[in-house]
Amino acid sequence: MHQDDKHQQGVDFAALWRLLRYSLAYPRLLKEAGVLLLLATAGQVLGPVLVKVFLDDYVALGQYPVGELTVLAIAYAFFYGLSAWAGYHNAMRFNQVAFSVVRTIRSQVFASVMRKPLAYFDHRPAGALVSRITNDTEAIKELFVQVMSSFIQNITLIVAVFVAMAYLDLRLMLLCSVILPTVIVVMYYYQRLSSPRYHRARSVLSRINASIAEAIQGMRIVQMLNQQGRFTKQFRNISQDYFDARMSNMRLNAMMLRPLPDLLRTITLAGVLYYFGSQSFTTVVEVGVIYAFINYLSRITEPVVEMTQRLSLLQQAVVAGQRVFGIIDETGEVQAASEYKIGAGKIQIENLSFCYADENPVLSGINIRIEPGQFFAIVGHTGSGKSTLLSVLLRFYPVASGRILIDGIPLEAIDQDNLRAQMGVVLQDPFISASTVRENITLGLPISQSEVEAAAKQAQLHDYIMSLPEGYETRLGERGGELSTGQRQLLSLARTLARRPRILILDEATANVDSHTEAVITQALNELRGSTTIIAIAHRLSTITHADQIVVLHQGRIMQQGSHLALLADAGLYRHMYELQMQKSLVQEAVVYPHPQA
Amino acid sequence: MSLFLKLSWYFKSQWRRYTAAIVMLLGTDVLEMVVPWIAGQLIDQVVANTLTKALLLRYVTVVLLIAIVVYVMRYLWRVFLFYSSFQLAETMRQRLYEHMTRMAPGFFAQHRTGDLMARATNDISALEMTAGEGVLSGIDGLVTGVLVVGIMMIMINWQLTLVALLPFPFMAWYFVALGDRLHIGFKEAQERFSDLNDRVQESVSGIRMVRAFGREKIEDDKFLSIADKTADANMRVAATDSLYDPAIFITVGSSFLLCISMGAWQIQQGQLTIGQLTSFTMYLGFLIWPMFAYGWLLNIVERGSAAYERIQQLLETESPVQDSGTVDRIASSDIAIDIRSFTYIGSAMPVLHNIKIAVEAGHTLGIVGPTGAGKSTIVNLLLRYFDHPDCELKIGGIALQELSLQTLREQIALVPQDPFLFTASIAENIALGRPGASMEEIRAAAQLASIDADIMRFPQAYKTLVGERGITLSGGQKQRIAIARALLLDAPILVLDDALSAVDIETERRILKHLSEVRAQRTSIILCHRLTAVEDAEQIVVLNHGEIIERGDHHSLVQQQGWYAQMVDYQRLEQTVASGR
Repeated sequence: MHQDDKHQQGVDFAALWRLLRYSLAYPRLLKEAGVLLLLATAGQVLGPVLVKVFLDDYVALGQYPVGELTVLAIAYAFFYGLSAWAGYHNAMRFNQVAFSVVRTIRSQVFASVMRKPLAYFDHRPAGALVSRITNDTEAIKELFVQVMSSFIQNITLIVAVFVAMAYLDLRLMLLCSVILPTVIVVMYYYQRLSSPRYHRARSVLSRINASIAEAIQGMRIVQMLNQQGRFTKQFRNISQDYFDARMSNMRLNAMMLRPLPDLLRTITLAGVLYYFGSQSFTTVVEVGVIYAFINYLSRITEPVVEMTQRLSLLQQAVVAGQRVFGIIDETGEVQAASEYKIGAGKIQIENLSFCYADENPVLSGINIRIEPGQFFAIVGHTGSGKSTLLSVLLRFYPVASGRILIDGIPLEAIDQDNLRAQMGVVLQDPFISASTVRENITLGLPISQSEVEAAAKQAQLHDYIMSLPEGYETRLGERGGELSTGQRQLLSLARTLARRPRILILDEATANVDSHTEAVITQALNELRGSTTIIAIAHRLSTITHADQIVVLHQGRIMQQGSHLALLADAGLYRHMYELQMQKSLVQEAVVYPHPQA
Repeated sequence: MSLFLKLSWYFKSQWRRYTAAIVMLLGTDVLEMVVPWIAGQLIDQVVANTLTKALLLRYVTVVLLIAIVVYVMRYLWRVFLFYSSFQLAETMRQRLYEHMTRMAPGFFAQHRTGDLMARATNDISALEMTAGEGVLSGIDGLVTGVLVVGIMMIMINWQLTLVALLPFPFMAWYFVALGDRLHIGFKEAQERFSDLNDRVQESVSGIRMVRAFGREKIEDDKFLSIADKTADANMRVAATDSLYDPAIFITVGSSFLLCISMGAWQIQQGQLTIGQLTSFTMYLGFLIWPMFAYGWLLNIVERGSAAYERIQQLLETESPVQDSGTVDRIASSDIAIDIRSFTYIGSAMPVLHNIKIAVEAGHTLGIVGPTGAGKSTIVNLLLRYFDHPDCELKIGGIALQELSLQTLREQIALVPQDPFLFTASIAENIALGRPGASMEEIRAAAQLASIDADIMRFPQAYKTLVGERGITLSGGQKQRIAIARALLLDAPILVLDDALSAVDIETERRILKHLSEVRAQRTSIILCHRLTAVEDAEQIVVLNHGEIIERGDHHSLVQQQGWYAQMVDYQRLEQTVASGR
């Protein structure tokens, strides 16, 4: 929203053209729209011509032949009907093009975001990305719905009106045509004057909104410091600024936007009347012509005003377009299809180091060897680098130095789809979507009901699911409302197991669950041992006491390595971590059963 | 329409401007009617061959004069009318703001930020529309309609008027119906748009899962299906919107057809002149706006009424804490806390029980205990975030309720749990409670809070903008700025409400050392998780489930072998692990 505040003078025509080019994908609709527009405009302009014929050829002469007049009336009704019909369908064609284009742009930018490397998301707030995909494309929509159709329709109308005027009386048309450049000049200056005013009002408005938001969030601090008076005064000043900015904007509008073209039009009308009156002293004049000119004059200023007003929408749409194209044009993740597939699930990590964009190394000199079917655990304090290690293993980030081999094949060379299919992950905060239990397990992939049930049984969730009113077809609320935290984690486990991965990865899967759920997960892991390679990173050591091998990370380096018992025998980091967790439960127990007052 | 009655206080206060605007509007309307009449006269005189040069000049001059006068009046009514409507928005915005400054924190806990924002922005805009465009469409629409029909009937021909107006009621009815449809369609489109937002939000925040399960294609499809629904909803709105022009077209066209046919017949009968017919058709064009205005007015008033109600409801909410105390001087800063029982409104379980604490002036009190034990509630009671009949808190022997809120707040410098920085420079943020403080004083406070070195590293040092629109600071930096802010106040009582949680242990030690130096003779209350922060306190109470389970100083508590002692051991071990040993 703050980007909108930037004062943007001028329009990036390359981006505008690129936006408009999207509509070329619908040549049939555009052609139809063009024909309909011509019909609608012709009908609109022909009405006054027919009235002129009626007035001059029949009324003025006092002749009323029923037959001819009926034809005239029918023609009049027909043209108006045609114009209304064609106008509506022309608008609908434009709308169709507009919404199709917006849909295309939306799907492009969304697909592009979904395929960006994960590092892309590290430094971009989710809100900003969401805004690119929704709000910016919404602004682009206005370009097609409000600006493009309005410009095409209005320009066609103005041209048609002048053609009809020329047909009726060329000299009078030339007289009237003076108004057009005048109005355009007025609108040009209006645009130049109003643009900075408009932007100023917008930026003051965002300051107002920010200070209201801050007042809501920080009021208790303001009150604690007895600064209410000062803040109120500050707010009053900004609010007054806003009022002034809008008043200046409004004064300009009142001076130039509608009243001035109207003034010019009435002056032109006076000219038309004068021309017509002085003509009448020398020649016989046609009353119908003056009728038609008066009628036409009333139609040419409004289109110019309308187009002027929509220029700011055009500007916003182009700025939004630039931002959206910026996302689309950035390269996504390289996804080369390859023949290398995961087999047994043997993992070698050799001399791996990693750091996020220009920061200190998060991992350095990691060497790990995991045999197929082994249960491997990675532990460490917060910030020790264990989550990063997993991210690299899952190919969320490219390996910077060193290498990772799976079944002897470099990780980068493995086929993308195969990697995803064979490497299953259970994340710390399971993501439950608002759909049925079954869909939450299959996640849209072709997995049979029996496989779904088998996975749910492995995760010991089957009985609970069957107790739900509609079993596997029960709809879960937004973000998995009805499931307990533990059940959500078990569902997440079932989801991964249903894919029968060769390598199962648990990313702090037991961090937020109760001890019952932890026990279920541990049991499931023990059953998988031998058939599936398991890598678990865990804060909670009780989850991984049965692991074949445990690696202890500290500040990105491996400090200790061995089995639970071997590590416990050492008076090192692992033992201290273990003792700490034992004490934690002691401290927590003290909370549950308060000591008698000392 | 009762909304206009409810807003009458405002219309009365601005009656001069509104009267001027309405007079100008009426003047514009009347003068505009003259031009078609002149055109008709001129045509008739041309046809009858009675037009003279002088007459022609006079007509043209009158039209030009009218054009200029109308231009000026159009400018003026806009300025008068919109000035008043903008001013209403201004008034309401400031009222809301001032109201919020008087509300105790409980008020902000009850209302979501988004909801309050919506009332202060969208609802005020809706109200402003009522006082501006609403008045315009109501008065001008009505006046134009009556005036045009009156002129057509009286000055031209009433039979012709009746016939020509036949299609207009249909248009008015149709506009209202379209307006309703548009309204519903618009709401629907907005809902679809917010679905779209939710969908994208879900996909973007779940990107790791999308990747891990290779769901890009499925996410695309889901997104597309919602994008399609959004497009459909938008298309329906556009379809409704596109019906306005044809409706106007057909109404005006059929009205013209009726008028010309009937007019021609009347001309033949000698009841009408050709000039009158021309004026008449020009008048017909004026009638579109009133038809449109009616539907618009209904819409504006509907939105405005709902908005006004929401704003009023907020303004009528009373603060949970009344500023009725009168004492504005306190002799000493010893604190007496006597809480028999405290329960939050709407909750059944008491949060605090039998809390009796006395703090001598100049001493430090530490309050520790697990999360949810009620530590912050004690502080909140001391700050009078809420009152409770079973809680008696005194400062210098005077009950809090007898003190004016300003005096109470002057006694206490608080560093809250979640430090809040305003969009302003760091210096201004530190000097928030003492805007007059000198740069030296600000830096001295920052040095005490161990944040000066960090600030000096920023490109613009103390002038660096922080907050919503400024640079992002770490949690620890924010906390230390909040500490500097509190220290600058040099208040008799300092309260640190878990204010060091994001600061590393070394920095914490340094800050505490500074505090013990500058606040040697002052009262402090420290709430914390890390027990090292209260080691030097004269008195420490351990809270659990709202009750005091242990109390004493550090040494006596360690000897009690209770929660405190266990926690000291635990945290020592935690420190060992954190350092990788």
